[in-house]
This record gives sequence, structure tokens and C-alpha cells, in this order.
Amino acid sequence: MLNHYCKFFCWLLVLVLVLSLSGQRKLIAQTQTVSVGIRLQKSINFYLENGFSVYYDSDKILSDRVLFGFHYVSSRLGSAINSNAIKQDRLFLSTHYIIRPQKKLNILTGIDLGYFHADYEEPVFDDLQNQSFLFALEAGIRYTIIKRISINSTLGYNLITGDGTSGAGTLYPLYFQISVLCNFQK
Amino acid sequence: MQLSKIIAFVCICGSAVVLSCGDPDISPDMLDGEVIFDASLYDPEAFLVSYSNPNPTPEEAEMPVIIVSHGYSASTFEWNEFREWNESNTEVLISQVLLAGHGRTYEEFKTSNWQDWSKSILEEYDRLVMSGYKNIHFAGSSTSSTLILDIINSGYFNDKIVPGNIFLIDPIIIPSSKSLSLVGILGPMLGYMEADNTLDEDKYWYHFRPEETLRELMNLLNEVRKELQKGIILPSGCSLKIYKSERDPTADPAGAVLIYKGVRGANGDPIDIEMIDSDLHVFTRLSLRTGIGQKDVLNQQNTFEDIIARISN
Repeated sequence: MLNHYCKFFCWLLVLVLVLSLSGQRKLIAQTQTVSVGIRLQKSINFYLENGFSVYYDSDKILSDRVLFGFHYVSSRLGSAINSNAIKQDRLFLSTHYIIRPQKKLNILTGIDLGYFHADYEEPVFDDLQNQSFLFALEAGIRYTIIKRISINSTLGYNLITGDGTSGAGTLYPLYFQISVLCNFQK
Repeated sequence: MQLSKIIAFVCICGSAVVLSCGDPDISPDMLDGEVIFDASLYDPEAFLVSYSNPNPTPEEAEMPVIIVSHGYSASTFEWNEFREWNESNTEVLISQVLLAGHGRTYEEFKTSNWQDWSKSILEEYDRLVMSGYKNIHFAGSSTSSTLILDIINSGYFNDKIVPGNIFLIDPIIIPSSKSLSLVGILGPMLGYMEADNTLDEDKYWYHFRPEETLRELMNLLNEVRKELQKGIILPSGCSLKIYKSERDPTADPAGAVLIYKGVRGANGDPIDIEMIDSDLHVFTRLSLRTGIGQKDVLNQQNTFEDIIARISN
């Protein structure tokens, strides 16, 4: 299982690097940045859920101090690869405040809002709650390695989790994520 | 200079928190103390078949024996009602195991690990096999369910007497209180946690839960969760059934999904599962609870009858 997982992300990383070096995709106006990349997310003492992130920031919005994001992560791309782990998906938006925006190393703090769903598959579990709103706080850093490549790493805390009587039982509170991003800027 | 001041401040605060954690205030009325102990320690013959009848006749050796074991911080009391309910049944023997570190003192609990807890179950199994018993089954509530799954996964029963049936009552793989997942970070700062037991329950469940044992519990849950992800195959001739409360404040019902997906019979068949309309953790234990209704009594009785019926077939 680990080999399959490693191969999948190696190929995804190669794709991001190729795109970054191609210099072909200038999507937006000069002062705006769109960053696209892979997101590797681990819940503390629970699943690896991976996927992708898309970020947007502009120096016309609060002097480049706000970072908007759209994310999808899933255990289908993590712990559930070739395993019996529950297949669960998260789709969410993020808003981060950037401290030190002009530096290579930025500090990020923000919130995530979105939706979580776990697939319990069997009808015998139909009465169990398997979905939830997502509301999390995040804090971390963003480091721009070169103009085209940055790494974003945050610690997040889900404020809504299951408690055995309500809520999604496989939504754990604390998680860590690292994203490798390709930046498209004009 | 400013950074070094910040680091120094954090270190001082951290030290203050750690050094402020003392021992809990244990009273003589608690199982945690040095006065009250689990009854099986005084009178093992009344609880363990391997002690009460170590030399069975050939007929007695064929009788079904079900090894029952309790959950984290609990004691043999958790299965007393099953034994009392089965008292008039001379066709099925019940062996009530006390897990290592449990039913004794806070300090003994604190120094135990999940492998010790598991050994207690295996020791009774080994004694029964040595005595000649051939028809052995297991029933575990809560953490004992998790221990039994690990035992199966370890291949312990290869070349040994295979258990005919395994019953898991409110097994825990995912804790309902997700703060348990943070025990590695918060535990050392807290030292211990307090259970919200009644005064009567304090005689049969530990009131204080050392953070060392909470970490052991989390380690066990992680270990077995990963074993389930890889897949656990039951030995040939062994059946497994889960009985899980749909609303459980201790063992999240989502854990039953992991077990159902992760365990298969030797022929690849899925295991049996029954989701119980209950709000209780270990719904088969009703004694000392308040607010018990007819539905709870029926849940308990139906489960006891189902267990005995499956063993007797």
C-alpha cells in the first residue's frame, strides 16, 4: 500500500514541477497569484487524507495579506488506498491572514469552512451520522522556495467533531497538513 | 534577545504545568485505593473455570466455556449480570477474567500496559486448554474487544484450539471523546483524568485514569485500527459477532464500521453485526445505572440469549 501511495504522489509532484517550469500558464492579472498543488493531510492518531489545493491572493486585497483557498482531501487518496479504511472526503474553503507577506517566509492564520462525508457502505450503518459541516482553525507557515514553488504547512483544529452520540465519528480534531504549490503570477 | 526571552518564558510555563501535576486524591472508598479490590483476587474459584474445575471429566471438557473480559478501568463486575443470568444453565460455563493492572490499585493500573491486559485473557485460555477444555469461546466488552481482535490478528490460535465464537460488546476502535487522540500532547500536562462515576461505581471502576494508561489505550486503538485496515481473517471454524450501541458516549459506533470492513471469516464471509438501539456503553451492564428502561433490559436479555444460543449450537 505504501508503494502505491508513494508512486501516486511522486507522479503528482512531478506534474506540479513540470507545470511550474513550463511557464505557459499565465492565467491572471499581474498583481494576482493562483497557486495549485497537492495537499497531504494527517489527522493526529487517525487517517492520512490527501488531495489538492488551489489558493488565490492579490496585492489589491488588503495589501496581499489575505489568502483564499479551495481544497479537497480524501482518505481515498491516503489511508484508504488498498486498505479497509473508511472512505471519507472533505471539501472546504479557507481564508488565511498572511503575516510578513513580502518575505519568503510568511505566517498564516485562518479558518476553514466546508463539508465532510464518510462512506459507511453497508445499510446496517444507515442510522449512524456520517456527514458534518467542517469548521476549523489553522495556523502555520508558507515558504516560497523559488518564485514558482512554495510550501504551505499548517496545524489545524476541527471545532466540530463526533462524540459517539452525534456528529461524524471519524472526524478527528487535530490535523497537520503540508502542501506543495506551483505559483502562477503575472 | 527577544526570541531567547520568548523561549525562556515558554520553558518556565511548561515546567510550571508539569511540576504542578501531583497524585490524585484517592479515598479508601475507591477501587483505586488500597482497601477495595476486585472480588476475583480473593476468590478466583468463583470467577475462573480453570480454578474451579482444573480437572474436568471428558464430558465436562466438552462443555462450552466462554471467557468474558471487561473494559478499560473496569473489573469483573462488568460481566456479573451475565454470570448471574446464566446461573441456572449448567450447560455453559463462564470464566470471568480480570485484566492485569485492573481491580487493584491506582499505582498498579498506572504501571500496566495494554500487552499486560491482553496476557490476562490468554492466561485463562491457556489454563483451560492445559486442563483439557476443548469448546472455548470469548466475549469482550469495550477494550477487551479490541484486545481480542489483536489476539486473533497475532495468529495466537494457530495450531491451538480455535475459539468457536467471539462476541464483541460495544468494541472500541474509535473513542467517542476525540480528545483521547490528543493524549500524547495533553497527557503529561494533565497527569490523570477523572471518571464521572457514582459512589457505587467507584467500587468497581477506577475513578482516576493515569495518562500513562490513556496513552496505552490510544496505542492499542491505533494498533488494532491499522490491523483492521490491513485485514484480519478469523481462524477456520471461528465466528464473530458485534453488538454495538448506536449511540455510545465512550466507543464511537463508527468503530463498528471499521471492524465490519476489516474482519472476514476464513472463507471470506462477512462477520455478523447487530446495531443496538441504546445510549449506553456496554449496554449489557445495567447494574448501578440510573434511568434504565424496558428497552435497555430487553437489549441486555436478548443479547445474553443470543450469545448462549450461538454457543450452544
